[in-house]
Amino acid sequence: MVKTLIKGASMKRTWRFWVALWAGKIITRGLLASGKKGTTLPGKIANWLDPQIIRHLSGAYSEGIIMVTGTNGKTTTANLLANILLEAGKSFAFNQAGANLVTGITGALIQNTRWNGSSQASLALLEVDEATVPKLCEQLSPSLAIITNFFRDQLDRYGELDTTVRLVRESLPQETVLVLNADDPLVAQFGVNQLNRPLYYGVERTPDSCSESLETREARFCPVCGTALDYTLFHYGQLGIFNCLGCGFQRPEPEILAQNVRPEEGLLQFRVGVTPFTLSLQGYYNLYNALAALTAARQLGLSDGMIEKGLRKFIPQAGRMERFYLQTGEITLTLVKNPTGFDQVIQTMISVDKPLRILIGINDLAADGRDISWLWDVNFERLGRYEERIHQVVCTGLRAEDMALRLKYAGLREEKLVIMHNLSGALDDLLTHRNESEVVFILPTYTLLFPLRDLLQERQKKAGLSQAQVKEHGEEASA
Amino acid sequence: MKLTICHLYPDLLDLYGDRGNILALSARCRWRGIEPVIQRASLGEDLDFLGMDILFLGGGSDREQGLLVQDLMRRENELRSAIESGLVVLAICGGYQMLGKYYQMTSGEKIQGLDILDVWTIAGAKRLIGNVVVDLDENVLGIDSSPELRTLLGFENHSGQTHLGEGMKPLGKVSFGNGNNGQDGEEGVRYRNVFGTYMHGPLLPKNPHFADLLLELALQRRDPNTCLMELDDRLEKLAHETMVKRLLKQP
Repeated sequence: MVKTLIKGASMKRTWRFWVALWAGKIITRGLLASGKKGTTLPGKIANWLDPQIIRHLSGAYSEGIIMVTGTNGKTTTANLLANILLEAGKSFAFNQAGANLVTGITGALIQNTRWNGSSQASLALLEVDEATVPKLCEQLSPSLAIITNFFRDQLDRYGELDTTVRLVRESLPQETVLVLNADDPLVAQFGVNQLNRPLYYGVERTPDSCSESLETREARFCPVCGTALDYTLFHYGQLGIFNCLGCGFQRPEPEILAQNVRPEEGLLQFRVGVTPFTLSLQGYYNLYNALAALTAARQLGLSDGMIEKGLRKFIPQAGRMERFYLQTGEITLTLVKNPTGFDQVIQTMISVDKPLRILIGINDLAADGRDISWLWDVNFERLGRYEERIHQVVCTGLRAEDMALRLKYAGLREEKLVIMHNLSGALDDLLTHRNESEVVFILPTYTLLFPLRDLLQERQKKAGLSQAQVKEHGEEASA
Repeated sequence: MKLTICHLYPDLLDLYGDRGNILALSARCRWRGIEPVIQRASLGEDLDFLGMDILFLGGGSDREQGLLVQDLMRRENELRSAIESGLVVLAICGGYQMLGKYYQMTSGEKIQGLDILDVWTIAGAKRLIGNVVVDLDENVLGIDSSPELRTLLGFENHSGQTHLGEGMKPLGKVSFGNGNNGQDGEEGVRYRNVFGTYMHGPLLPKNPHFADLLLELALQRRDPNTCLMELDDRLEKLAHETMVKRLLKQP
């Protein structure tokens, strides 16, 4: 047997480990050869063969393990940080493509582990589903844990938000350095009674910050003592500058503070200290994702120059404010999955200040969340207030009728609402009626995202725009 | 004409889109030329249970529910007499449990309720989560004109199992989902004009007949001759029927 000299491996690797590792590697190789993604199945088999495999695999990362968790923005934050690390020439293990449960994480670690059990990279970057954190932390101890935010998301899968937050909090080891969103009270509370002072990031203000919030708020009450929180400024959702009159818990002073925040056509500009940054993404939630990545990158010792490049050159992943160029013009595709995210998309759509034509696709399969009641926590009333600007909303998906009904009660006239279950038909309806002055958004839940994306890519190809032209278009649009 | 709808503890009991119920009630008032007055009352605030027309109590997370049991106790007498004189109440999930005798936690400890409804709740080991279809009991609804929709459609998410005392009538039988306790096939309760249920969804937008029942009862309490104007509910009915058919696998 190969003798392993691995720092941090607290348990001896047993024959079970080698069987699990090699089985995992064989299956991975098979899947990759047949053109599949290959992280979940090998992870599943390997965990079945050795339930302690993550412990054994994770001991090999001498530079540490960075974990990214929270409700929204995990994937974007992890991808932004990955882009910065790549820019700096670092290699690392990474569970890309949102494989953020135990099986996917195992699969990603197996891919990065050689047949002899040693690791190809000495650093790991793991996106971890918030409900998976407790299970994962039984076996590995992250050196750095980024917590983005906590919002209501697919409650039917996780039970209530309080439980999720508590379980994450209880499971994180004391020695882990926390990278926390200072503006989210549910996240900032992780710093209370922490041995090592956490690293906080936050936003001074955005052009849309205000002293009153009408959006859904999660932490209406102090997570420490239960008193109603007092806000001097809301950035979005429950994120803002808060303090508790009951126990004195308040928004911590962030080390990394975004100032001078300016959204411009398709991108965001901001400054941290004296360094200006440009992010090729829209929406303030992406500003927080960038700040989280930036804070972690600085902690890893990367220079602001590298970080700036990594953020600026970032290309958004599938279905996150992704643009397509069709015969009838440009459209934006973005995933919607919970009230806060949807509220931010509505804010972005309204800020464009042009007539809107929208397609909303709502499914209620397991990956979307079976309970669609969250649609009633979205502030569609805001769209209702701009009703004259909204030319049409096409509703599709298994819960198309529910979506249309929600919009009716938000004040949209019924003649502007179309229900069409056939996805391709719904897209046709949207595109054939569009006129040049209109801005078009397509907003699907998870299981409709990829089917719609495929249709859009097909149509983009038909429109005759080559990849190069698309890229050029993209640069023009964001220039 | 005005109708006062009180959303009690909107900052604490507002889970799973329950505010949609308030949106539905207010819109259905407005569309009929009735001006809805929405009161949002929180912990410690003064309330006039006798002056309001509809009281809405939603569900909350366990932590939040604990915070307000005491506050409600303080108002118990007024609430009780308003209910005895016909106040229309819609209580969902946590709100429903709190109107009962007690909530027994897994530890065996009992949290006292208001004891207005003869029902009690025992924490179950398994959370009951999913869509619910209820065949409405017409007698319980006690309305003359039978509405086109005869089912209630909602989404439940509770670990408490609620049992009804002698003489308490459920809203109906469950034809899909779990209902009050997952055992006796019953869902919700009606006592006078108090409706308790586990159905989120939110309940009222997709059950316009039930929303109108609440409005009608509230208006008739003021003037027994009130009759509600019909609304164009095609979209509401479509949303209701599409989902009921899908759940019951009807063609």
